[in-house]
Amino acid sequence: MTTVRTPDPPVAAEAAARARRQGRPAGRRRKSQPEAFAFLTPWLLGAVALTVGPMVVSLYLSFTDYDLFTSPKWVGFGNFAHMFTDDDRYLQSVKVTLIYVLVSVPLKLAVSLLVAMLLNTRRGGSGFYRAAFYAPSLLGASVAAALVWRALFMGGGPVNEVLAFFGWHTPSWVDDPQFSLASIVLLGVWQFGAPMVIFLAGLKQIPAELHEAAAIDGAGAFRRFRHITLPMLSPVIFFNLVMEAIHAFQAFTPAFVIGGGRGGPADADLFYTLYLFEVGFQDFRMGYASAMAWVLLAVIAIVTAIVFRTAKLWVFYDDVDGKGERR
Amino acid sequence: MRRTSERRTLVALAAVVPLLLTGVAACGSDPGGDGGDVTITFVWWGSDGRANLTKKAVELFQQKNPKIKVQTSFSAYAAYWEKLATQTAGGKPPDVLNVDTRYLAEYGGRNVLADLNSGAGKAISLADINPELAATGVYQGKRYAVPWAQNTPAMLYDPAAFTAAGADPAKGLTWDQYATATEKVSAAGGFAARGVTDFGILDTPLEIWLRQQGKQFYTPEGKLGFTADDLRRYWQLASRFRDTKAASPADVTASYNTSPEQSPLGKKLTSSEFAYDNLLPAYQKANGKPLNVAPYPTDANGNTGQYRRPSMFLSVAARSQQQEAAAKLVDFLVNDPEVGTIVGTDRGLAPNLKVRAQLAASAKGADKTLYDYEAGLEPKLGAAPPVPPKGAGAIQKLLQRTYEEVAFGRMSIDDAVSRFMSEAEKGLK
Amino acid sequence: MTVLPRTARSWGWHVLCLVIVAVVLYPLVWLAFASVKPPDEILSRLALLPTRFVFDGYTKGWEGAADVGFGRFFLNSFLVAGLSVAANVLSCSLAAYAFARLNFRFRGALFAFMITTLMLPYHVTLIPQYVIFQQAGLVNTFVPLILPKLLATEAFFVFLIVQFMRGIPRELDEAAIIDGCNVYRTFWHVVLPLSKPALVTTSIFTFIWTWNDFFTQMVYLNDTEKFTVPLGLRLFVDTSSESNFGAMFAMSALALVPIVLFFLAFQRLLVEGVSTSGLKG
Repeated sequence: MTTVRTPDPPVAAEAAARARRQGRPAGRRRKSQPEAFAFLTPWLLGAVALTVGPMVVSLYLSFTDYDLFTSPKWVGFGNFAHMFTDDDRYLQSVKVTLIYVLVSVPLKLAVSLLVAMLLNTRRGGSGFYRAAFYAPSLLGASVAAALVWRALFMGGGPVNEVLAFFGWHTPSWVDDPQFSLASIVLLGVWQFGAPMVIFLAGLKQIPAELHEAAAIDGAGAFRRFRHITLPMLSPVIFFNLVMEAIHAFQAFTPAFVIGGGRGGPADADLFYTLYLFEVGFQDFRMGYASAMAWVLLAVIAIVTAIVFRTAKLWVFYDDVDGKGERR
Repeated sequence: MRRTSERRTLVALAAVVPLLLTGVAACGSDPGGDGGDVTITFVWWGSDGRANLTKKAVELFQQKNPKIKVQTSFSAYAAYWEKLATQTAGGKPPDVLNVDTRYLAEYGGRNVLADLNSGAGKAISLADINPELAATGVYQGKRYAVPWAQNTPAMLYDPAAFTAAGADPAKGLTWDQYATATEKVSAAGGFAARGVTDFGILDTPLEIWLRQQGKQFYTPEGKLGFTADDLRRYWQLASRFRDTKAASPADVTASYNTSPEQSPLGKKLTSSEFAYDNLLPAYQKANGKPLNVAPYPTDANGNTGQYRRPSMFLSVAARSQQQEAAAKLVDFLVNDPEVGTIVGTDRGLAPNLKVRAQLAASAKGADKTLYDYEAGLEPKLGAAPPVPPKGAGAIQKLLQRTYEEVAFGRMSIDDAVSRFMSEAEKGLK
Repeated sequence: MTVLPRTARSWGWHVLCLVIVAVVLYPLVWLAFASVKPPDEILSRLALLPTRFVFDGYTKGWEGAADVGFGRFFLNSFLVAGLSVAANVLSCSLAAYAFARLNFRFRGALFAFMITTLMLPYHVTLIPQYVIFQQAGLVNTFVPLILPKLLATEAFFVFLIVQFMRGIPRELDEAAIIDGCNVYRTFWHVVLPLSKPALVTTSIFTFIWTWNDFFTQMVYLNDTEKFTVPLGLRLFVDTSSESNFGAMFAMSALALVPIVLFFLAFQRLLVEGVSTSGLKG
């Protein structure tokens, strides 16, 4: 990008402030139809060609008995009824997934926000630490990651040794029904790099002058966090919350690789999508799997809608819909 | 297959409409079918070592059949099945494919596989294959598959540990003698490592144990061939080993994985494990000590319960446009003596008896152990069981997780048995 | 404030960071050492250090699988991941700008639809999507891996960039409009440069996730010559036969190098990304 004309922010801000003082709506409610659709063209093409079709097919299949190889047979709401009345493993997968969402999402967000704040400094070495903290996320959920995790939490492994030093003797975490879900939660938290980077980028966007001004006014660190960092970071917190929640509801790979492709010991790690995958691809009941997928979609949609609703109360935007005034 | 094509139209509808909208031309037809060269696709599961051997065999086939080009592809076991299901659902399965006895009914019973008793499949010679072994590829009267290799369930063990405990599994033990021996092996190591990997989770030992009593895992009609009481007694037997610490503790048992390197014996956590004889070299490498193969323990009457087990099959896709070339490749892989020399015992013993005899004569090392073991067992082998029904693929996992409930002390044997029976009945339809 | 407490605080900060580094990196160090353990210790020895160092995993692993060298898998992965980054950054930022800044009919509905596409587990759309690419004759090419990204089907990134663009003070592009820029110029000269942190984040994530993605690549690629690193790694390990865990660990460790370098190269941009206040040097 050689011809980038960097805007002169103070001037721009002044112009906008002037516009605001003069009571002009400053571009709000102005429709820009053709331009908008020009920008949306690739996305619309992708949505129509690659997303809508497959989604409609899977919705249709959710009302059928479909074994992948022969014609689907219409069964109405049979799959949905079966799910809630006659399938203990389904209910187990719901339980495992809910626990995972409720524990791992807040934990991962808290850890990544704290670490991001720790790194949001001009001290020497922060680049090194940032890279080091991100490193686990580079590994993904590969076979190697699963084996490393297994080795760490095995009987006689470092985690057991450290806990035993403090007098808590635990079995092999990954293989014990009581502990294995915890080990998968920890794997998710360990790979906190993605939300951390997003938080960090968000923190960089907060004007340093705000903190400096507040400090001069005598606001302590906690007050500044509460009244400046949190509100200013709220769009990013909101994004991370929504994405991590959706991600956690759909968690598949960690349980798949660590649990060796099944639901872990005595189904203790039977995640929703893991069960869905097993039903669809190993038991050849893709109709039932599709029904499960749509129930999950409905649940995630409801949860997301609630988060979006409450967002109006705590997320501050400076855009067309934004109600927040920042200064 | 009118119904199938209807279904495909439906799935394709969602596919084609957006394609038309975006102006992408669909080109569905196969390139050049008749006259001249043909190309067939061939897929199998396995690791890198096996792939090198198999590719060499395929190269040899191409040299001998210059008009046939074979495109090969392979993946690990689990990925293989997901990919195959996707390709098949998409309407284009590979021409020649590798099939497991647990999935034969799923694919054969749904007309994915060609009946090799008719059409091009008749060219595949079964003359030198043991008829009982060959019959394991027949499901509901149709020959959907040809055995690619034969293996036998076996107990793999550390001879030094068992000799120290005063037992020689190679000579054959009863279940009682085995219980005593494994307990001694555990005690000798201070119970840190155990005598045997808990077999309560495994379907093959259950099947062999049932056969020793004249029962079977599946009936020809595709139902369970055993009762709740049989399963209760099997799990009581396994629990006896576990209670005396002869068998692995629950968390080690739960870590079991069919991969030799990841199994408790491979990780030196136990001194014996039920597996298949052709895995001996892999187990040995992982464990680091010389291991041996022995028959399963028996009841006092000495009935081994063993049979000629197809370690895996080769099949031709029913929709293949190149049935003749595909059948030719299958026949070559199963019957060619040079192929036998190339692939050795990687998948098990050669299905062709002439090839096998020739290889056995020159076998060395672990291979020799294998041929000797199978030769010693040959007179004691019984009739092969019927092809497992649809839904059988899930039964091993069901057995594993219900027994884990027992091993971890979260459920009584009786409760676990009734859960197994009710879920199994739902799964086998 | 005197100098002393400031130094002490700085030291405290370093100590805290180093403790976190130790905890967080231990598993990766373990992985690195596992790659040089002898075959019978890889999975059974829990200690960090091997009893003797064996480099067979690297030599055998680099030879690859089935006559295809591992370098080939690396090249394929670079190609797929590199094109994916370019495709994603371009298409997602275009869509994001429309959602974040422009006012058009069905904006709310389309945005809601985009978020909805995130919620359906991909396992059930995999087969219909596969049929589309199969009908188009594109299976066993890289197209099914890259085309969806060129068409912004990864709603995660659209949403990510939307959120960042919303954080940019509106005064800036309003001022640009007042200065006579049209929407396209405003996008290109004002909003896009200011979104650099989000674009860098998109690039980093796209590269890493594509580099590590297994399922899509497994389903669409057939020839071993076209395999990528994650597929290559799985060729060493099979649960039904003999595996080579040494090679798998060695190549897993090696596969980390490009993404570490990519991350190190781009994270600078992330930090130096234009702060919207414009006050930071």
